[in-house]
Amino acid sequence: MLKRLVLSIPVIIFGTTVTFAIIRLGPLSPAAAILGPQGDARAIRQIEQRLGLNEPLWEQYFDFMGNLFMFDLGQSWVINSGTPAIDLIISYAPRTIWLGFWAVLIALGIGIPLGFYAGLNPNTFSDYFASFGGIVWRAMPNFWLAVILVTVLSQSEQLFGFSWTSFIVETNVVTSPNLAVLKNPTRLITDPGQAWTNLAKATKQILPPALVLGSASMGTEMRIGRTAVLETINSKYVETAKAKGVSPRVLVWKHIFRNALIPLVPVITAEAFILIGGSVLVETVFSINGIGLLFFRAAEQGDLPLVGTLMYLFILLIVGLNIVQDFAYTIIDPRVGYDA
Amino acid sequence: MMETELTEDIDQPLRDRLKAHPGPALLWGAGLCLLLLLEGPTYLDGLLGAIGFGLGLLPGAPGAEAFASASAFFSELPHLLSRELIPNRGYYDGSAWQGTFLGLEPKYAWLIRFLLVYAYVAVLLGWLWYGYVTFRRHYRAADWTPTDDVIDRLRSHYWGLFGLAVVVFFITMAAFAPVVGPTTAEENIQGPYSHDMQYYDADTETVETITIGEANLGSASRGSGDSNVGIWSYDDFGRFHPVGTLVSGKDLFTFLAFGARVSLFIGLGSMAIAGFIATTLALVTAYYKGVADLIVVLTSDSVQAMPALLLVILATVVFKNHWIAELYNGAMLFILLFALIRWPGLWRAVRGPALQVGEQEWVDAAKSYGQRPTVIMRKHMAPYILGYLLVYASLTLGGVIISVSALSFLGLGITAPTPEWGRAINIGQQYIASQSWHISLIPGILITLVVTGFNALSDGIRDAIDPQSEGAEGGAAGAAAGGGGG
Repeated sequence: MLKRLVLSIPVIIFGTTVTFAIIRLGPLSPAAAILGPQGDARAIRQIEQRLGLNEPLWEQYFDFMGNLFMFDLGQSWVINSGTPAIDLIISYAPRTIWLGFWAVLIALGIGIPLGFYAGLNPNTFSDYFASFGGIVWRAMPNFWLAVILVTVLSQSEQLFGFSWTSFIVETNVVTSPNLAVLKNPTRLITDPGQAWTNLAKATKQILPPALVLGSASMGTEMRIGRTAVLETINSKYVETAKAKGVSPRVLVWKHIFRNALIPLVPVITAEAFILIGGSVLVETVFSINGIGLLFFRAAEQGDLPLVGTLMYLFILLIVGLNIVQDFAYTIIDPRVGYDA
Repeated sequence: MMETELTEDIDQPLRDRLKAHPGPALLWGAGLCLLLLLEGPTYLDGLLGAIGFGLGLLPGAPGAEAFASASAFFSELPHLLSRELIPNRGYYDGSAWQGTFLGLEPKYAWLIRFLLVYAYVAVLLGWLWYGYVTFRRHYRAADWTPTDDVIDRLRSHYWGLFGLAVVVFFITMAAFAPVVGPTTAEENIQGPYSHDMQYYDADTETVETITIGEANLGSASRGSGDSNVGIWSYDDFGRFHPVGTLVSGKDLFTFLAFGARVSLFIGLGSMAIAGFIATTLALVTAYYKGVADLIVVLTSDSVQAMPALLLVILATVVFKNHWIAELYNGAMLFILLFALIRWPGLWRAVRGPALQVGEQEWVDAAKSYGQRPTVIMRKHMAPYILGYLLVYASLTLGGVIISVSALSFLGLGITAPTPEWGRAINIGQQYIASQSWHISLIPGILITLVVTGFNALSDGIRDAIDPQSEGAEGGAAGAAAGGGGG
């Protein structure tokens, strides 16, 4: 485990260096990007001074790396000028985490059971249906699915005679969920009427984007779950267990299910990558004020210091998840050691 | 006696075997020449044009002019699949269609040309297959090689064949984009106001001439009321639109065909570069192991730890006004970016097989025999890992196509007016629930189909080269082409 941690240090340094290289050595100077095409020379020089762009490159590099590693994340220049980047991220992150949470939950809750069902009933009509669905579902572009879902849900009344917007609680389709209630969970008890409605609203609003975001992983989980179950069913120890008279339920849950989970671990962690990239698109289409949208706006408007900070945090997140993945292996599959 | 004959037979070079029995080869060669001649000007035009384009990038552009003019000369020559031979544009003068192929309705004229393109490609591919069979039957020294089994397995793998068919459909659409569409990008999309067209005005009963740009204004699909030209319909100017028009009134099918070109160019280009990097590194690491392996493992880990789509977004913004983003409207930048981001995935996929091959006795034998490392890698190791590379390149290509369309959906990368599928989805966003639903839905369905096709082809090749692996797919590979990549 220690080796794993040590090896992740060069990975983080490399990623951050590449980000630095793109931002500082690329053809677009951060100062020019911040001011846009109209910026006059004096203002550019002023910003260069404040960003330290007139210092030697190696000094800039060490400053940049040093600040990031000390978690001195700098500030935003365009999106919310003068605000520390960390404040921005803290205010944007909850919605992305809420989205990611549901995306993983939906993908796991639908993908794995469907895959296991298909694997337990191979070559039946429902297996073919589920398998084919998984394949197509996986190939569908996220943003396209999001666009279609937005239209279908916001016009569901005219299309199907069923109104999604007024279903259970009144909500809009394209909007940011209000998560105030989660910041203050005691309100669920002190002010149940209002708080529970808010929670229901926030959940209902996040379900469609979460479904889209989880779609690709759902398809992959389904396919791999199916093959994993098929392989496990045909293995010797399942036959042995059957022969010694293990009841079907114990057989499925204890002998098949747990072993079939092993190949699913990398898929579940790989989902994190998809969530980080996909959140840009999904948050844009559903206009959810999350980290993905923040990154996209920051990049689009030339807020390069903020972009660098976000990139660094994403790299940390991915590296962290990789370590978690290795750790999860050792829990699910005791045969895998730490040093493997 | 028998034995000597056999060895002689095997040692005979292919040229001698051809000389000894030229009949089938000549027949096949003649057929191929005929097929190529039918479309000769197109190929020469494309080849010379590409060379001219390449030279144009060099400082001073030596000879680029000459190639460009030669390419223009060949594009004028008549050939089978051309708009001039089977024109589909004309006007209805009240009694008959003027200017279309055989006086047919534009719909049928276009359909004939469209089907002819696909028939031509089918015949060409069939003939190439026939050539392989002829070679196998008459000229190959060995009766059987392991490749035969691979091909036989692929032939009975219907899912893989479906993928192959979709991929061929897509590539044909991209390669013959100027011919398969009812109009050309040059006329309809890039410079509609510098081209004229004629139409029949029923009120005044005269033939009028207007610019295509003005006509496009009248054929726009904007959802409500009369302003819609849907699937399989004509606009007010007698132009046929197989899958309708865009919001701007431009033909969607032409847009898609040229968009396929861009996607395919980026996909193939980036996979070629990434595949080259991956193969080279896999061979080097499998041959030398040790430190070389560790360095590449760390580098690829580092590249994979960066959020790919976000990195591309950042790079597109930073390089927006750089000359590299001007090359083919940003396609070149994408090729380089995706190659640099996707090689670790490919490398990981071929690393295992490369390590296995590196352990084989024949590699040891070649080493002790004193062969140079580069030759060993190229001749004795590379052939065994190329199949695996193909499997993952095909899978990753689908992911690249999705990413490119995702970026142009966000308004980054491939800039207008160059068509890109993702942009059509973006343009048609607000019309999905209206009668102009085709603008967004059809490109999306096409992306899904093409990506499914590449995934299926990848499955097919995998099962063909490695039947034991059937069904046992690695999680990382599964996620590689996931729609979530973009």
